Amino acid sequence: MGWYIFIFISLIIFVLLNLTLGSVIVPFKEILNFFTGENTSKFVQDIMIPYRIPKVITAILSGVALSVCGLQMQTLFRNPLADPFILGISSGAGLGVAIFVMGFSAFGITLTSSLLASVGTAAAAWLGAFAVTILLLMVSSKLRDNTSLLIFGIMLGSVVSAIISLMQYLSSSSALKVFVLWTMGSFSGLNPAQIWVLFSLVLAGLALSVYNIKDLNALLMGEAYARSLGVNLENTRKRILIATTLLAGSVTAFCGPIGFIGIAVPHIARMLFRNADHKVLLPSAALLGAVIMVFADTIAQLPGQPGVIPINTVSALIGVPIILLIVLKSRFV
Amino acid sequence: MSREKDINNVLELQNVSLGYDRVIYSAINATAKSGEMIAIVGANGMGKSTLLRSVSGILKYHGGVITIDGENVNSYTPGELSIKISYVPSQSPKTKNLSLFDMVAAGCYNRSNWLGIIDNHEREFVNSTIVKVGLAEFISRDSSMLSDGEFQRAAIARSLVQNSKIMLLDEPTAFLDIANRITTVKLLKEIASKEEKTIIFSTHDLLQAIKLCDKIWVMGHDSFIEGTPDELIEKRAFDKMFKDSSLKFDAKLFTFL
Repeated sequence: MGWYIFIFISLIIFVLLNLTLGSVIVPFKEILNFFTGENTSKFVQDIMIPYRIPKVITAILSGVALSVCGLQMQTLFRNPLADPFILGISSGAGLGVAIFVMGFSAFGITLTSSLLASVGTAAAAWLGAFAVTILLLMVSSKLRDNTSLLIFGIMLGSVVSAIISLMQYLSSSSALKVFVLWTMGSFSGLNPAQIWVLFSLVLAGLALSVYNIKDLNALLMGEAYARSLGVNLENTRKRILIATTLLAGSVTAFCGPIGFIGIAVPHIARMLFRNADHKVLLPSAALLGAVIMVFADTIAQLPGQPGVIPINTVSALIGVPIILLIVLKSRFV
Repeated sequence: MSREKDINNVLELQNVSLGYDRVIYSAINATAKSGEMIAIVGANGMGKSTLLRSVSGILKYHGGVITIDGENVNSYTPGELSIKISYVPSQSPKTKNLSLFDMVAAGCYNRSNWLGIIDNHEREFVNSTIVKVGLAEFISRDSSMLSDGEFQRAAIARSLVQNSKIMLLDEPTAFLDIANRITTVKLLKEIASKEEKTIIFSTHDLLQAIKLCDKIWVMGHDSFIEGTPDELIEKRAFDKMFKDSSLKFDAKLFTFL
């Protein structure tokens, strides 16, 4: 219980810190005034409402979604290094974006940061991720066990990545830049409607994940024994796959493929709570994911720099030491 | 082959052949009643594990019919089957930070709510089962820290909590020392006779199989033989266990010479 309070308080602190920092520093007092409804300057409102608040909400949703997703992948595959994208969902999203961005450029249209570009990119990414999931679902009922599914997913991801590389090689430099920027990840630029879409998809994914808790706990006993307990393995696999697409697919669609958080956070939850029960791990990974993602985004916009560091750079710098710690001290797994 | 149906048979195997793409063992005819303890013996690679997994419904089998309570194994849903039969693999994965209580309580899968939470009545059942297998002092400890013998007993407790009519165990004593082997098999014997369960396990310990089991299924290198220990010794069935025909079973010393 103590940890939950600690995590929750750190979340509030990091959110406030996140709102303060940026290209313009908004004083704490102004932010408190803003939330308590006291009269704030037009200037602060113009920064908070269209930019900072949507961005911090996106960061929270992404952190929650990727961590819950990574936890389910790690349990399903009994693999401490599994992440939300291990089955090729981000590659699928990437292919969708590549086709969209480079397809447009083939017709001589350059996509800048227009609304069409951002909505189109998200839709294309989501369709790409969804297509990969459909393929995995169709194959999963024919596969013997979860390991076969893992191998199939990794191979599928590699093939899709190869196609993306080919497209990058053939595309124009302006289209390539749009695509590369997408792969770096970003929480900014979502309008309220897009945030509502992301929120609904993530909420649906979380609801399904909570429903998966019982089967995830059974899977801890091994696949053969879970089957003997009465778990319908095919069904469970499909539910986990759909939850994965709703969570990681949607985040990737709106923010790009954000690495390392999905592997690292479930392990931090295991270390802190020392409990393998998913009734404890799932909510704690969700909360920790939110905290770490907001923290990463805060670092990405530390003052003293003109722009924002790509979020993927920061998440790697935070995530990699944690993953190394896991490998070196495998007793945590 | 006698075709008479015995109403007391919980489990029946009729001309079963094992394997999926190709047959690895064929012509298995066997039955099991409630309260019986049965050992499966045979050389390595004969298909003892495959037989257990086929009976448990985890693995598809090539031909013949396996029936539980008169119904084909494959006609049950996983949920229905879990009430009839439970399966303990030879080695279950250990999970760090999973308490012994939670591990054993996993056996309640079918009777817990949608989140996997069990009521007080079930909690009491889990507690008393842990006491029964002699692990009361470890109840809130990390199950991955248990010794191999203790962990095997925890797996048996989990299977008991599942409360199925038939318990299948794949080499439950394979990784245990002599003392733990004896306590484990005696525990199984006690469960079979007191709780009217059918217990079927594979083993390489022929001596124990002969002394404690009601029946033995011999997976010989050329044919499958079912019988009580005395019948099998009489028929010299154990001589056919291995390909090497110079190995003969000595009924006085209970070992191969």
